[in-house]
Amino acid sequence: MSVVLRLKAPLAARLDLEGVTPAALAGKALAEVEALALPHGGRSVPLGELFAVRAGGEGRLVIEGGDARLDGVGAGLAAGEIVVEGDVGAHAGRGLAGGLLRISGNAGDELAAGMTGGRIELAGDAGARVGAAPSGARRGMAGGVVAIGGSAGIRAGERQRGGLILVGGDVGDEAATDMIAGTLAVAGRFGTGTGRGMKRGTLLARAVPDLAEGFADTGTHDLVALRLMARRVPDLAALIGSAVTARRLVGDRLQGGLGEVLVF
Amino acid sequence: MIINGVDIRDSFAEAFPMVGTRLIITADTPDWAMTAGRVTTGFATSVIGCGCEAGVERVIPPEETPDGRPGVAILIFAMDFKSLKTVVPLRLGQCILTCPTTACYAGIEGGKRVPLAKTIRYFSDGYQISKKFGDERFWRLPVMDGEFVCDEDTGSVEGVGGGNILILARSRGQALHAAEQAVKAMSQVEGVILPFPGGVVRSGSKVGSKYKALFASTNDSYCPTLRGVAAASALPDEVGSVMEIVIDGVSFDAVAAATRAGIEAVCAVGSAGGVVAIDAGNYGGNLGPFHFKLRDIMGGVA
Repeated sequence: MSVVLRLKAPLAARLDLEGVTPAALAGKALAEVEALALPHGGRSVPLGELFAVRAGGEGRLVIEGGDARLDGVGAGLAAGEIVVEGDVGAHAGRGLAGGLLRISGNAGDELAAGMTGGRIELAGDAGARVGAAPSGARRGMAGGVVAIGGSAGIRAGERQRGGLILVGGDVGDEAATDMIAGTLAVAGRFGTGTGRGMKRGTLLARAVPDLAEGFADTGTHDLVALRLMARRVPDLAALIGSAVTARRLVGDRLQGGLGEVLVF
Repeated sequence: MIINGVDIRDSFAEAFPMVGTRLIITADTPDWAMTAGRVTTGFATSVIGCGCEAGVERVIPPEETPDGRPGVAILIFAMDFKSLKTVVPLRLGQCILTCPTTACYAGIEGGKRVPLAKTIRYFSDGYQISKKFGDERFWRLPVMDGEFVCDEDTGSVEGVGGGNILILARSRGQALHAAEQAVKAMSQVEGVILPFPGGVVRSGSKVGSKYKALFASTNDSYCPTLRGVAAASALPDEVGSVMEIVIDGVSFDAVAAATRAGIEAVCAVGSAGGVVAIDAGNYGGNLGPFHFKLRDIMGGVA
């Protein structure tokens, strides 16, 4: 069964929705869903106290009326679809392994931290450390796609080790710090100190970012990979367009890294 | 069965299972893509001596290739998967990686995976770059003309090897002309290659030899200079030359379609062009599981 949750009132404290996924709700009666205990502030409250619950369309969980304190939305999602009509708080899509998380508003910090697969679509802005390593982990996002319509905060792609983060707007300072692998594509501008400690991975940029020390400029090249990515990766088609050449800057050489910034 | 004066003999081609794969090669120009395709499929006429059978399947226009550049598709077949896994990276490394401006992509999705860049990426000495989007990984290998882009691996198919037709004509010139027409028509069929030089083999073989060390030897029954000498000559007096076309394909249906296209083209040349008969090579039907019966394939035409 799929469920629609409508937030009854703005949250007075943070609420953790981790684990509230279509799979977890499958087979539960509405009364059982309402009885689910959720960490809220310093206590545990039944879901029905905060949300009006009703049955919805097939195969997905809809959350109507988001809130910046609504944390952990879609965390642990492995299949199915979660749609949020509004904002979400921190840790949205943490460890997301499959399925689709769609958010029409903004997201807090650590969107997609530790994500391994699936897809997150965020219409608004994201907070700090998109796709970074979740607390206690050494490595960030390893797979999947995060498409952000707006801008992202500082340290986007920190310790990212795979997958694709696509930002329609700008990213904050120190993007791709200690990036291990994967792709961070930014249609807008980068902040300062980009790429410090980058080991591998690719930044796609429209202008040369303010980079950390330790990047070597290899010049502008005709890269077949651009043509391939523009065709094979639908998410990159609009950004890359018909570009066939890119300036390639490699770093962080101070730490022996071979990450790259492709500017086209 | 007689079509346009050509006797379609009541015979069949006996073919064997092979495992094959398809590679898409692109380059800056159609010529360089074809050069890479030809070189990669060179010295690959017969598994007997080459370890694989390979050929250019078709030219691919830029709008259909993964990177939007002109390309060709090639097919490579081997007797078993282990051999295929060996020959494909070798040919990739020596013939595609080395060829100016090329890139190489998987041409088959399903089946067991045949390594491509997975094997040859080490050429880049640590500077190789992996990019993975979804489940697809490709590699960028820094080379002297820029970067060689190559998919991680490609799929494979259980194909059919050794489909064939024999063209019996009055003279060598006429046999060759008919064979050329057949090759032209058969090359239009998707999913097949004709691995021999120009698609034609003039030294068809039989199984075994009087020499113990040899697995195959000249097909004496079809050698015109041995008429009346060889134990069982298959050539009537008016046949002066025979050409064979061997077909490897990704499926029974693809090989059957190519066989039919070839026979049609040869019959269009007809007895007026010196063609006497069309025959096929087999081993009595007990060795290969795939039988292409010429008259069945041409059913409804005569």
